[in-house]
Amino acid sequence: MRAIEIHLPSDSSVLEPLQQIVEAIGRSAEVEEDDLSSLSVAVVELAKNAMEHGNGNDPEKTVTISFNIFPNRIRFLIDDEGSWEPEKALGFNPGEGEELLLTRGRGILIARNLAKWVEFGLTPEGKTRVTLIWPLT
Amino acid sequence: MKIRQEMKGDVLVIAMSGKVIGGPELIEVKEIFKKAVDQDKKKVLLDLGKVSWMDSSGLGVIVSGHTTLARAGGALRILNATKKIHELFIITKLITIFETYRDEQEALNSFGD
Repeated sequence: MRAIEIHLPSDSSVLEPLQQIVEAIGRSAEVEEDDLSSLSVAVVELAKNAMEHGNGNDPEKTVTISFNIFPNRIRFLIDDEGSWEPEKALGFNPGEGEELLLTRGRGILIARNLAKWVEFGLTPEGKTRVTLIWPLT
Repeated sequence: MKIRQEMKGDVLVIAMSGKVIGGPELIEVKEIFKKAVDQDKKKVLLDLGKVSWMDSSGLGVIVSGHTTLARAGGALRILNATKKIHELFIITKLITIFETYRDEQEALNSFGD
């Protein structure tokens, strides 16, 4: 199956439609109902990071989410127009003093804990790409 | 997302419902916490029982509310966090900051006089 692509402006108004789309994808791949919101939270968190850190929340810039449903997993690729380094941009380490009371910076932590596999890399063009793998049982 | 406010004794109960997702509406929630402090309502119970979906944006607003109230000598406590929201509190270790309750009366009593 070829990947299906979703192109989103970097605008928070698309987050709720994205959440619904991701849950529909999960449902079509027979992800358990109880896990659908974990899947959608993980993807939405990564999309928000792409909008903010990759595209500077510029609505003219696009976040592209492509997905494949394989027999044993769903693979999401989240691409933005920047070339940021997530580990340097977001060094949030909860439990470390005052950082616990920051009002932001928890997105990657949450995505990594809810999804089974989240990896940061680059597209062939050198833009930031996040890969999220959701195993299917 | 919808927000309902109600005084129960000297505790302001804020009930959120629906999806708590990033966007301008969360600014409204921050303002509610600030307004509560301005009106000397420093004991706040946040009821999350009818929140169907929440991400880090929602957590950020809750932390902001905690900070606003704590700086004024008040307290923010959590009622009826769903299993999924409770999981987010654990992942982010916010569970170490917030007192969470399942029973409203117990939560109200926890503020004391």
